[in-house]
Amino acid sequence: MDKVRIGIPRSIHYYYYGELWKYFFEQLGCEVIISPKTNYEIMENGIRLANDEMCLSMKNLIGHIFYLQGKCDFIMVPRIDNYGIQNQTCTNFLAIYDIASNLFSTPILNYNVDVAHHQTEEKGMIQIGEQLGFSKKQATQAYHEAKTHAWQHKDRQIQKNIERLKSNQQKVLMIGHPYNLYDETIGKPIASFLKKLGVEVIYSDLFYPNITNRMSKQLSQELYWKFNKENIGVIPLVQDQVDGILFLSTFPCGPDSLVNELVMRKIHLPYLNLILDDMDGMAGFETRLESFVDIIQERKQKNV
Amino acid sequence: MKPCYLGIDIGSISTKGVIIDEHHEIIRSLYLWTEGNPIDAVKRLLKGLKSDLPDCYEIKGIGTTGSARKLIGLMVDANIVKNEITAHAVGTLSYYPDVRTILEIGGQDSKIILIDNGIITDYSMNTLCAAGTGSFLSSQAKRLGIPIEEFGELALQSENPVKIAARCTVFAESDLIHKAQLGYEKQDIVAGLCKSIVLNYLNNVGKGKKLKGPIVFQGGVSKNKGVVKYFEEVLHEKVIVDKNSHLMGAIGIAILAHNHQSGKTYSFNIQDISFETKGQECNRCSNHCELLKIYKDEKLVDSWGSKCGKY
Repeated sequence: MDKVRIGIPRSIHYYYYGELWKYFFEQLGCEVIISPKTNYEIMENGIRLANDEMCLSMKNLIGHIFYLQGKCDFIMVPRIDNYGIQNQTCTNFLAIYDIASNLFSTPILNYNVDVAHHQTEEKGMIQIGEQLGFSKKQATQAYHEAKTHAWQHKDRQIQKNIERLKSNQQKVLMIGHPYNLYDETIGKPIASFLKKLGVEVIYSDLFYPNITNRMSKQLSQELYWKFNKENIGVIPLVQDQVDGILFLSTFPCGPDSLVNELVMRKIHLPYLNLILDDMDGMAGFETRLESFVDIIQERKQKNV
Repeated sequence: MKPCYLGIDIGSISTKGVIIDEHHEIIRSLYLWTEGNPIDAVKRLLKGLKSDLPDCYEIKGIGTTGSARKLIGLMVDANIVKNEITAHAVGTLSYYPDVRTILEIGGQDSKIILIDNGIITDYSMNTLCAAGTGSFLSSQAKRLGIPIEEFGELALQSENPVKIAARCTVFAESDLIHKAQLGYEKQDIVAGLCKSIVLNYLNNVGKGKKLKGPIVFQGGVSKNKGVVKYFEEVLHEKVIVDKNSHLMGAIGIAILAHNHQSGKTYSFNIQDISFETKGQECNRCSNHCELLKIYKDEKLVDSWGSKCGKY
């Protein structure tokens, strides 16, 4: 029998769970197909198929799923409601499974996470294993091995990020969701432009989430979006070690627009707020990034 | 021969050029419309500046700023290419060393720069939406059939400015048409428009910032007396508009060109060389980058726009 082919879109969830999912499915003997890095074609397809009120990142995800359609037996698009009380996700995370099942002909794996109602990641993953015809024992074992592998991988990245904090260069903390920070059409060109200007980039997603989640309380007690809490929780942790903060979000992200605005009013470091949509010209960003770097350099030289 | 320095500020609407001497005094200046063609505008600018520059000066440095700074920097072989924020701050500080706040509204950008002890401490720029900038004002002036130069004067005549939605120019425009059709007087509409620019600016780039005096207002829109009036009214603070307020970016970049001079002497012959750009879509991968190739004297000198960096 041919191997079952599982498609993983290289978008939103991939940047959190890519390693876990890939290892899990390969451990079970499936073939894993990951969509390519976001390019113009994927983005255009996403914009064409998506609802106009979705954020650019969600549109990209839909473009990625479109790419995988017909190339695999199942596509992995989770339905994530929450990670426990006070740790919710954006409503799009809840909706995307149903949107994808309606839009595309390739079946979507039925994977649910709703920690507040005892539907954990582990339970959800084991259920997919069973859905694919494996025994509960096989799926459980594959999950635990995948979890260890994914954690080691993430831990190495976090260590590298923390190492970068010791650099003598100017350091800018880039605050954003990993699916924006590392996407070829969103955060990548910005990070590489900053590096070209001689700036060391610190990524907000590469810290230990249990620590940053708790630290976010220093900025606000009321927030209930897990990923935003973890992003801004980095600020109290490293504010004495970085020279500036860059907020990066995609238009029109709801949680980001509220949380970033709230945080900007409370911090004392120079900051820049960049909101991206599907614009091609880089000139506008270059002006903003150049002058931002000018300011942090001048401040450092004059020791403000 | 006495040294002098040329600063060129190529904005989306207008192109500004100044020549300063070593004491940063303006020798010559020129202001003209970009008309969507920065290369041609700079050629006209150089021709104009050359024609009345005394023979005893030689150019020892050229700086470019503004949204076409990279392109023109390449064309004139500038010794410094710098963003508008820094150029504006340097230019303004040379006239007003104790300035705390710079308001700037240009053709498609608006920005605010906060300065403390001569150091930029904070700035903010409009998001990529050009709401409430000069290009909006000039297109509305055309719609109302008023030359943009008379716009401010007309606004001052109004005693009762109409309320115009300030958040988004698309809404502002429909609001404006609606008010005109209802029969409001022209000067009241114009005044309302000037006020909406001010409110939009303060709600957008000025949001959450503490604006301390002295406040200097510059950029093309600062020549509009109506906007100045409403800034003073809303901020309860004197707003200084220099007679050279439209040239501050060019002055700043000329000063920076002086500070970064390389010892090279420039000639005005730049206006005669052929300088061309060719746009082209690359089909090598699925990104379909829009490449812009730049030819100087028919030789390819640079190309921009590729995501992969192959070109």
